[in-house]
Order: sequence, then C-alpha cells, then structure tokens
Amino acid sequence: MVRPLLTVGAAGAITLLGALALGSAGRSVVEAQSRNPLTGARLEVRPAPAWHNASWLNTPGDQPLALADLRGRVVLLNFWTFTCWNCTGSLPSLVDFDQRYRDRGLTIVGMHRPEFPPYAGEHNKGNVAKALAKYHIAYPNAQDNDHATWDLYEIMYWPSYVLIDRRGNIRYEGAGEFHLHDGEYELWDSRIQTLLAER
Amino acid sequence: MRSRLLVALSLLAGCRPTPAPARDPVPLSVEEQRTDSALRLVLRAAPGARINAQLKPALELADGRVLRFDADSLSPDSAYYAEAPVLSLARGTALHGTLLASVCAEGEQVCQLVRLEVRTTPDL
Repeated sequence: MVRPLLTVGAAGAITLLGALALGSAGRSVVEAQSRNPLTGARLEVRPAPAWHNASWLNTPGDQPLALADLRGRVVLLNFWTFTCWNCTGSLPSLVDFDQRYRDRGLTIVGMHRPEFPPYAGEHNKGNVAKALAKYHIAYPNAQDNDHATWDLYEIMYWPSYVLIDRRGNIRYEGAGEFHLHDGEYELWDSRIQTLLAER
Repeated sequence: MRSRLLVALSLLAGCRPTPAPARDPVPLSVEEQRTDSALRLVLRAAPGARINAQLKPALELADGRVLRFDADSLSPDSAYYAEAPVLSLARGTALHGTLLASVCAEGEQVCQLVRLEVRTTPDL
C-alpha cells in the first residue's frame, strides 16, 4: 500500500520552488526584485551590515575579523557548508579568485553556515578545518552556527555570494554553484575586477 | 484493518517562512508504505529537485530521538540520492516529529533546508 503522507505545501516549499524556477541571470527571488537583470548590480546600494561571528579559521590566531577591518578592500562573502555539493563545487573558483586578487585588494570571507543541527557534524570546528584543508582554502572563514550573519544578509540558498565594494556597500548578490571559467565564474570575475578598479 | 494516518501539519524551509501563492507545487513528499511487519516512510523529491545524500534526511522526534533516512543508490558523485531514501520502522509505530532534508535545485545548483512536520498513528 502506498499513500501520500505529506503533501501540504507551505511557505518553505514555495521558497524552494522559487529557486527551482530561477533563470540564470538572476539567481534568487530577492535578486530578481532588486537587481538589474542584465548585470546583477543592485538597483539600490545598501551598506553591508557588520557581522559578529566569534569563531574563525584562517585568521591570525583565529581571531575574529570585522567588516570594519576590511574597509578599503573589496569583500566577497561566501555562504556555504561542507556538506553541500553545490557549495564545495564552487570552492576551486573562490580559491582561484583569492590567489589572483588578494594582493590587488580582494578579501574572500567564507561564512560556514550549517544546514542541519549539531548532530550532523557541521557545527564542529575541526570538521570545518578539515574541509578548508581539503579544498585548499587559505582565506578567512567564520562559523555561522547560529546563522546570525545568514539572517543578517537575508540569505536563502547554499551557496550564496555577496560582493561588497571598498566603501562597504553591497553591490552584487547571487547564489548557485559555478566552476572555473564557466559563465557564472566569468561574471563574478568581471564584477570583482569592476569593484577592484574603483577607488 | 485499514491503517490510519494523520497527514502533514506544515512544511517550512530555509530559516524564514516566506509568503507565497497557495497553489505552488511542493518540492518534497513522504509516502507511507505498510507491509505485514513494517512501516516505511519514503521521501520523494519533486521533479527538478534532488535530495542531498551528504546530509542524510533526519526525522527529529518529539521525544528527542533522531532517526535518519537513507538509500543504497547514490548519484555517481555520491552527492545525491539516486533512489528515494527510506526510513523503516516497525509496523504500528506512532510518530510525531520534524523531518529535515537538504534539497537541491537541479538547474540552479542551490540547496535549501526543508522541514516537514510529520505525524502518523498506529494501525487501528
């Protein structure tokens, strides 16, 4: 006997299906409503909110890194978790960006935001450290175990990206896996170069 | 005797409920399969959605226990289930809890946490 047990749609289902139905130019519902559909640029620039994550990796002494400390640099925030294949699939591109642009003023900040509760192991700092080593990540990463920064930036999907200019304003946002030298990679590369060229 | 079932109470995904039209389709469903000795809960993803196999779907019971869904067949990269993950229980088991599953949109290659409240009742 087979019978449907759960068929009730509610808010979250719609949220996910919003993602399922997205076009390649605008990756999220929020993005579609507030971005230029051709360039992905925010139609209304807003200041990037300060995060307050306490647990960090790949910073000197694993000390917290504040957004204010990065003023004058371009910042690419990446919301991810090591259990998300789409997230880890994008990491080689982010490592590439880090290697190419760090000296020119780009700081990539990983925000490791678990999907599941602690029993799944995503909250464990040692597990995050293993993932950083596995994917050769040298840029700073914060643990966002209480998803405070995720909420602060109104993130909906893994992986997501927020690109912040030298003045601390959010300029581009998006979501989804991309790979070295594919179209999305080239788009983010172009966005990074644009912001790095600004003074 | 015909088994009885109380269906889902609600479905929540991500961290914030988002108002949306009521007629949108659902990304996940759970089927109940009963044999003489077992109750099987089978997790189905909607077309265009895949279930993350690196985070085995979990059923968090009201009493604090956590039961995990699983399946033997995975995608070639081991990232997703290639067959529906199943949770097998003794027939007559009454459950009340929250299902957690990481569901990924195939085309857009993004993932989202989906929560389903589940309640079943034992056979009458």
